[in-house]
Amino acid sequence: MAAYLLQRLAYVLLVGLGITAVTFLVSQVIPIDPAVAALGENAREEQIQEFRRRYGLDEPLPVQYAIYLQRLFQLDLGRSLRTNRPVAEDLKEFFPATLELALAAFLVALALGLPAGIWAALRQNRPPDLTVRLLALLLGSTPVFFLAILLLDLLHRQLGLLPGPGRLDPFLFPPPRVTGMVSLDALLARDWPAFRDALARLILPAFVLGAASAALLARMVRAAMLDVLSQDYIRTAWAKGLSERWVVLGHALKNASLPVLTLLGGLLGGLLSGAVLTETIFSWPGLGRYVTQSATSLDFPAVMGVTLLVGVIYSLLNLVVDLLYALLDPRIRYA
Amino acid sequence: MYLYTKYEGGEAGMRHWLWILVLSAFFPALAQDRTQILVYGGDFTDLITLDPQIVYEFSGVMIADNLYETLVRFEGNDFSTLRPGLAESWKVDRGTDAWILTFKLRRGSRFSTGREVTAKDVVFSFERALALKGPSSFLFANIAQLKPGATRALDPYTVEVRLPKTASPQSFLAILTFTIGGVVDSEEAQRNAKGGDFGRDFLSQNSAGSGPYRLVRWDRGSQVLLEANPQARVKPKIPRVILRYIQEPAVLRTALESGEVDIAEGLTPEALRALTGNPRFKVVRADTLRLQYLAVNMKEGSPFANPKLWEAVRWAVNADELVQGLLQGNATKIQTLIPKGLLGHNPTTPYKYDPDRARRLLAEAGYAQGLEFELLASTGICGGGVPCPDVAAKLQADMAKAGLRARIRTIATAELLNIYRAQNHQMVLAGWSPDFPDPDGNATPWSDFDARSLAWRNSYRDNVAAQLARQAALETGVEKRRALYRLLTERVLREGPYVVLYQPAQPIGLSVKVEGFLKNPMMSVPLWQVSKQP
Repeated sequence: MAAYLLQRLAYVLLVGLGITAVTFLVSQVIPIDPAVAALGENAREEQIQEFRRRYGLDEPLPVQYAIYLQRLFQLDLGRSLRTNRPVAEDLKEFFPATLELALAAFLVALALGLPAGIWAALRQNRPPDLTVRLLALLLGSTPVFFLAILLLDLLHRQLGLLPGPGRLDPFLFPPPRVTGMVSLDALLARDWPAFRDALARLILPAFVLGAASAALLARMVRAAMLDVLSQDYIRTAWAKGLSERWVVLGHALKNASLPVLTLLGGLLGGLLSGAVLTETIFSWPGLGRYVTQSATSLDFPAVMGVTLLVGVIYSLLNLVVDLLYALLDPRIRYA
Repeated sequence: MYLYTKYEGGEAGMRHWLWILVLSAFFPALAQDRTQILVYGGDFTDLITLDPQIVYEFSGVMIADNLYETLVRFEGNDFSTLRPGLAESWKVDRGTDAWILTFKLRRGSRFSTGREVTAKDVVFSFERALALKGPSSFLFANIAQLKPGATRALDPYTVEVRLPKTASPQSFLAILTFTIGGVVDSEEAQRNAKGGDFGRDFLSQNSAGSGPYRLVRWDRGSQVLLEANPQARVKPKIPRVILRYIQEPAVLRTALESGEVDIAEGLTPEALRALTGNPRFKVVRADTLRLQYLAVNMKEGSPFANPKLWEAVRWAVNADELVQGLLQGNATKIQTLIPKGLLGHNPTTPYKYDPDRARRLLAEAGYAQGLEFELLASTGICGGGVPCPDVAAKLQADMAKAGLRARIRTIATAELLNIYRAQNHQMVLAGWSPDFPDPDGNATPWSDFDARSLAWRNSYRDNVAAQLARQAALETGVEKRRALYRLLTERVLREGPYVVLYQPAQPIGLSVKVEGFLKNPMMSVPLWQVSKQP
């Protein structure tokens, strides 16, 4: 087991290295000069030269890459060309917002997708099943920006049921920053009005971001459950006279959860990699917005930092999923 | 009303938490006195630092302007009269080998830290600007030719600055009104300095100024919080200001309509039209000093090396239709190189849309069959809030009727600037804002080839124009200076590589409750003058 873990962790390292190489190459193909992008239309030649010198952009490419790697091994992600701050600091600032939103969206996906999928499988080809399938199709195919603006307009502007964009009512004083997740920080500070508002403000973006995942999850759970429900041991369970609850949750769901688990790992990874559209529309200061701004100004230390972070998270999530397999299915063992 | 207040500070069971979760969505936040808080919504994503000697982005300048005071300042939209700031008086003397500017500081101005503003803080701030070499430092180092050591404290309330005779003291005074001239608390900056950075890291996200507000908190990408500086000489009408990042125009409109923001900057023309008909809102049009223009490359080998062709282009653009149609009146038609609002602006607009005349000029130049060329345009937003590709398409259609067939190439702004700076364009649609509110902010870059700015990029080498710009920059007599700019603008209008199209205005949507809001053409907003009715 320990050997397996080490091997997998080495693999994560390799993925990280691959990511830096590809990102570095891509940054060279784009015909934008980061110095000009950062300094703007009135910049003078001397300023541009000075900028290149300061950020080592005047060095040959392999040298730039070598310097980057050398720093990386000391856990230094470099300085952003746009914000002129250490990339690690920027990530610390923007990642918690993404984490908060992604976790909330993940909860939404689980809370909606899981029961809907099970319910649909149990009532196959009957109205509940058809309803779930239709809703899943609708939610899965509605463009995020459309859904977001529609819901904001309806639930916030017209009906006033939910608060507007942003993480906190601007008229409230934000809680002291501890985790960077406003709802959690408000809870830690026992600032109830802020906590309530922060939670209420999570509802819409989390729903918008989680809707497509919920749809996907519902369909996946339904298919997996249908597959399991038709097997002999389930028939035996029914025959023994077990209650529906016990058969479904105790026997069927556990075996249906292996393929679902794979999907969940991918879904959470996807949600964490930052949702540009959701973050833009809901004025959510997360990784997605940070990386789009960095990309348009060819701020490659920043782009590289985000790509690396997301890549490592993906690899680690995959590892966790693989380890969970062993927990759920006694036949799987890692040597 | 709040069902769960009794759990404050205590342990709450799982079920109670669930209740809180459910209920939290449906209860509005605690009612508070909203007249004491001003919420300003807009796209502030360009904000990267609030250090007055470094900041050079629109949002950063706008905020820093409320945190720091300068020796002298302009008020409102009047850029011809300097007014006292931290300095209660000043004079300019013509020394034998230098200009000598002497500033008398007013007594009793205090930083938010409680310390008094003295001459040594001014010296520190100016030296700091030169040492840090930030994006705006060329204003001091190149335009004003200020050297390290040239600023001295004669006594705690008197500052002397010496400038070379080749520099313009008028330009320097205008530059001093900009954030780079903001005076920081030297003790506070030095106390927080790291490795000789003059407190750069600290001041990028903290404030130490004597302005009406102080920075309380900046959540990047989310909001900036300002509070009244208790020590300030100028007391703001609203004690707390929040700047909220809202990038998406449709969302911004929603936020304004639902009262989540009081001021909305960056609304679309449709949203503005809708607001104009609603009694709860009003629209303010802020003047800018930006010019949107077409430029042709005069370089040998370029299709536009022949002057007849530039002349043809001037008669082939329909700026009136552009301003009234596409821009919905959010701009003024201008044809000369100094924008309205600055000394020396020349309102003449001799060129009208006349495709036949343009066609004749083309034929005289030997292009009876017309001319095909490439027009570069940014994928971004042009002055007046309209996408640049739309402006380019309108110009393309106008010019086509005159036989000028433009092939539009739209690319990212940074890429466009790269091509433009390398003189590899044929025609470009671009914008320009002066670096400081003085006509020289346009005159020299547009007419002096050796300044390696716009004139250089377009291979426009005109010694007479360059000489006029230099002479006007150094002239201290207002009327003489105005006359020199008149000559310069007339000359460049007819002989330069530019076709100036318009000067955009920036529309901003406000709640009717907001009073005293003003955004001046240098993008500064005196937030301390704003008040809010209940």
